[in-house]
Amino acid sequence: MNPLLAFLQSALAGDDEAARSLPRAAAPSSAIFLILRRMRTPLIVLIAIYAVSVLGLTLIPGQDAGGSPWSMGFFHAFYFMSYTATTIGFGEIPHAFTDAQRLWVTICIYLTVIGWAYAIGTLLALTHDRGFRHALAVQRFARKVRGLREPFVLVAGYGQTGCTLGRSLDALGRRFVVLDIDQARIDDLELESLRADVPGLAADARNPEHLVLAGLGHGRLEGVIALTNDDEANLAVVMSAALLRPDVPVVARTVSRPIAERMHAFGTPSIVNPFDRFGDLLRIALRAPAAFRLMEWLTGEPGTELPPSREPPRGRWVICGYGRFGQEVVADLRAEGLEVTIVEPGVAAVDDPSIIVGYGTEPDVLERARLRDAAGFVAATDNDTTNLSLIAAARRANAEIFVVARRNDQTDARLFAASGADYVLVPAELVAHEVLARITDPLAARFIETAPRYGDGWAAVLLARLRERCGLRVPLLWRVHLTPDGAPALAAWLAQDHGPVTIGELLRDPAEPDQSIRAIALAVVRDGRSHRVPADDFALAAGDEILLAGRRSARHALATTLHVPAARDRLLLGPNSPVGWLWRQLARGGRSASAR
Amino acid sequence: MSLEKVIFGFFILLAATLNFGFFLGDIDNPAHHNIYELFAAVVVNLIATVLKFGDRTQIGAVHLATSLVADLQLIAATVVWAVAVYASPAGLDSHAMASIVSLSGGALFANVVSVVLLVIETVSFQRR
Repeated sequence: MNPLLAFLQSALAGDDEAARSLPRAAAPSSAIFLILRRMRTPLIVLIAIYAVSVLGLTLIPGQDAGGSPWSMGFFHAFYFMSYTATTIGFGEIPHAFTDAQRLWVTICIYLTVIGWAYAIGTLLALTHDRGFRHALAVQRFARKVRGLREPFVLVAGYGQTGCTLGRSLDALGRRFVVLDIDQARIDDLELESLRADVPGLAADARNPEHLVLAGLGHGRLEGVIALTNDDEANLAVVMSAALLRPDVPVVARTVSRPIAERMHAFGTPSIVNPFDRFGDLLRIALRAPAAFRLMEWLTGEPGTELPPSREPPRGRWVICGYGRFGQEVVADLRAEGLEVTIVEPGVAAVDDPSIIVGYGTEPDVLERARLRDAAGFVAATDNDTTNLSLIAAARRANAEIFVVARRNDQTDARLFAASGADYVLVPAELVAHEVLARITDPLAARFIETAPRYGDGWAAVLLARLRERCGLRVPLLWRVHLTPDGAPALAAWLAQDHGPVTIGELLRDPAEPDQSIRAIALAVVRDGRSHRVPADDFALAAGDEILLAGRRSARHALATTLHVPAARDRLLLGPNSPVGWLWRQLARGGRSASAR
Repeated sequence: MSLEKVIFGFFILLAATLNFGFFLGDIDNPAHHNIYELFAAVVVNLIATVLKFGDRTQIGAVHLATSLVADLQLIAATVVWAVAVYASPAGLDSHAMASIVSLSGGALFANVVSVVLLVIETVSFQRR
């Protein structure tokens, strides 16, 4: 939303009611208290030095210009000490000092210099103090979060997954707030070139206070995402969010089924398990390659080109590494009715005589796994170096084998791309894509998730249509709502009962009305019911929600049609439609007359 | 017994007693009010204020507020004194003295509140 509009809206409406119900976190004014507490001793020392100096000056006898005895008053003494202590030094006024006074003033000068040095030194040391900096950071963070006037999501955990998700959210123009236990990651966040200012705090997300500080009580919060490496921490975030803000959707990552069960005890969090999800994807890829391709196509990074990929073959699969990921994949492959040979070096291997114990990188182990006549191979260990050598070993043993590899670390991306694996699974990116889909666009997420159910033929046709309309790059998915808010111009048109507007009519370029824009409608939701891939002659009604896939330029063109009455008229009435108010009134009169 | 509490109580009480000592006497008679006592009252009040810095409790906040009021009143009194002695042609007359003493009287009231707070804090602490 336009920040100015958002500001006006919030200023007029006075939103974030939900914020009231939660107690404020106690951090905000701690920095100033810390300063005051640390400055106590230096300030008292300074006051004492001034008091002793001034008192001494008033007590020591002096003489005036004529040589008669004269004693300095408090006013003059304070005046003198003020300019002496601050090293301004106007000289001896109002009369030249006696030697006794000079002796005292010498002492005072050193005393006050020490006093000031101590006070200023303490203040400067405070700015380097970790506790003070943390207090300042917390305060700044809390202020930024409170000042958010746009909808935002709370991201707990900013590792690889969080980073990927954050960049995508930012590219979509969505605001987010980050909590991470590691200060280095928060520092990275500040260095990253994101468009929006992202408040970030190094704090433990398990502590609900920190979550409240990060906007759990904020009225504009529209989602909580738990992506930390620690399943327990993710569970804690889900718990806090479910108990404190039951109205906000929660998405959490976990690779453990027991933890997922415990998360389900709290409300209805959306849980992403990358290993489980990958197993599902593999099954879809085996059963319905076109549907899988379509899903890949719709969840990819918009604007990138997807490389052509092989379809995973049916046959015997060999899997190296039988950890949590390996177990999920094996279970899914077996459920698909495929034979699986497992190679696992660790003693952790379950008591299963069919498991070949040994390192997959050793030639004799691969020999025993009969790699030569296997159809597929999965390098599933949690070590990238091992996985890379597994890929190489498998390729050497069988050049035709379909290789799936798990990549754990972002830094190895180039190596895996060069390794010749047919499919590289990156748990961090998988989670980021899933979460992004669920948090930003539940409609799109539902469409993509249910795509395999409609059969492979359907997916293939849709994919072909998409490619023909939108080109070979991954399309952007977006949603329009035909309400006076989301599409003022078109909603007004529909409200006036001018006759039906079909999807085919709408998806044209207002600049060249006989050309279609490079987008297609994936679904129309009307009264809670979803119409999948409506045909071009599907008539739209006010209140419809449309899910579209297409180019960025198409999105702009459509937005123009939906928002600008002149563009709408040009599109729906023809290029010579009247643009000004007067002409429109005249044209309307003419039309109704001719209709009569 | 904590030394910090002793020092804290000492300065708060000393601020009040010095202030009271200066306030005592005919309101417009300069002979009854010693300027050194006013000076001491200002210094001790400032120290008491700094001692109250950084306490985040409710009672700590009120403590700090009373001290700030006392400081303000006493500094106003010294300014009036300096103006009367050095800048005004009339000198330190009974009118100026009355202003100084009444200002310090205001400060005394704030100091008394401060002492009362100290007593309340102490009593409620021991009851618990």
